[in-house]
Amino acid sequence: MGDPFDLIAGWIHETVLIPLLYTLGLMRWEELAGGWALFAVYGAVQVMLTLAICLPLERWRPVEQWPDKTAVGVDIFYTVLSRVGVLPLVTFVLFYQVQVALNGWIVDRGWIPPTLERFIPALTGHSLLTFALYAVILDCADYWRHRVSHRVRWWWALHSVHHAQRQMTFWSDDRNHLLDDLIAFLWFGAVALLIGVPPLQFPILVLVLRFVESLSHANARVSFGSIGERLLVSPRFHRAHHGVRAHGRRSVNYGAVLPWWDMLFGTADFSRDYVPTGDPTGDEALATGSWLAQQRSGLRRLWRALVSDHRAA
Amino acid sequence: MLSPDGKSLLVGDTAGNQMLFLDPATGAVQREVAVSDPYQLGFSPDGKFLVVNGLARNQVDVYDPATMTLIKRFAVASMPSHLAFSPDSHTVFVSLQGSDRLAAFDLTAMAPLWTQPVGPTPAGVLWLNGKVLVADMGADYVAVVDPASGQVTGRIVTGKGAHNLFLSPDKKVLWVNNRVSGTTTALDAATLKVGRSYNIPGGPDDIDFAPDGSLWITRRFVEKVAILHPETGDFETIDVGRSPHGLWLNPKAASP
Repeated sequence: MGDPFDLIAGWIHETVLIPLLYTLGLMRWEELAGGWALFAVYGAVQVMLTLAICLPLERWRPVEQWPDKTAVGVDIFYTVLSRVGVLPLVTFVLFYQVQVALNGWIVDRGWIPPTLERFIPALTGHSLLTFALYAVILDCADYWRHRVSHRVRWWWALHSVHHAQRQMTFWSDDRNHLLDDLIAFLWFGAVALLIGVPPLQFPILVLVLRFVESLSHANARVSFGSIGERLLVSPRFHRAHHGVRAHGRRSVNYGAVLPWWDMLFGTADFSRDYVPTGDPTGDEALATGSWLAQQRSGLRRLWRALVSDHRAA
Repeated sequence: MLSPDGKSLLVGDTAGNQMLFLDPATGAVQREVAVSDPYQLGFSPDGKFLVVNGLARNQVDVYDPATMTLIKRFAVASMPSHLAFSPDSHTVFVSLQGSDRLAAFDLTAMAPLWTQPVGPTPAGVLWLNGKVLVADMGADYVAVVDPASGQVTGRIVTGKGAHNLFLSPDKKVLWVNNRVSGTTTALDAATLKVGRSYNIPGGPDDIDFAPDGSLWITRRFVEKVAILHPETGDFETIDVGRSPHGLWLNPKAASP
């Protein structure tokens, strides 16, 4: 019995992608399309797993109940687009290409590409520990990216798409402006290259981290207790980050998976409240508009921030 | 790819930017050599050169196999894929998947000879009876190319997604794997007349020839190798793990 994910991806590749690429005259991308298919399957399974765990939690102990859930529907679209479409594309296809090209350049010069095992030789042969350490380092790097995105006006203009949701659920994790996602990926990918995350592990790392992030957005009265809250970001902990009075520079709890960085750098808020979410400074389109309306509104807000910054300078 | 002295089996590790030298008898790793983007590789018939195509980095590298020293790098556009040598070892032909062309390089002068269009997404390349054959993965044919000029002199329809081609050990049959149609086609090597096609679904890729006359064929998308018996058309399969690509049998059918 083979790897079921790989076999499903192979079936998609053979029956859908290859005939399509052949018809479109794009067979040169055939191998990369196969890689995309595999990680798209991983993404789809991750979405189903997230659904299976988070949906019962939200039904069991909801923080809020809404008669009209149209805004949640848009977040579902974000999630499917991101995890099945875009994430596999950038985390495997793009990362793989960049890593092969960059490391080839490094090897050409007689150097050895950087890896975590070279920095910490004791990790050699301990692949699970190394994988966990990759996750910790990437999560720390993401804390700082996230924190800066709240400080810089034009960046916050983009990131406010994520914060505008008043009906926050586990689907809201992927609700991001495309440019914000692009910056986040470039930053995440650069750090991953620096510490030598293997190309086939990178998409898996992203999916594991994003699973915890989805859970942290759940509309559920769930906390992990006074010790657990300090080990892993909980729905309650992350809800404080999305609070209506915590938008922009005033926010707290920037950590995506581990609360350690907030505790270490003085931005943690372990209060017990389950606060309402949203960004009262944003356009209504950001909160309740369609996917396209949210993207457009984010761009408009970005433009206004850039013009305002330019005038101030 | 077996080294000319038969002592090492070379495996390109593209993601790791290294070449693995394995013991052909046991599979044990003999050594690892840093090599930039080794996608496909081949030894010249006289054993003097090892040519390594870097598909992601758009480079064709010529190494001295004795020392693994880089002798020459040719920058190409784009996606150098498969390669074949002329029997006198003077020329190497490289398919450029990203630009629908075949490139020829003079290994004596270490200079490019020509780059010519040969059809959409060229992949496998083979020298046969004074001609260069190129499998066009974006089409359903094998292009016949004049090695001196690079001009296409003929096209032989084999199946959609013609991907790779192999000459049987007795040099009588040319086998072509067609990735889109999921078939393996036998051609008369002397006349290039198309013979029987066999259904080998699952992305047929590489072939090697067993002493009992069967063909071992990697099936990229289904984690299997097919063992095809050409006389009956039957094949059995072996589960081998994710994305089987290159194949090397030991022992294999001997050339007469």
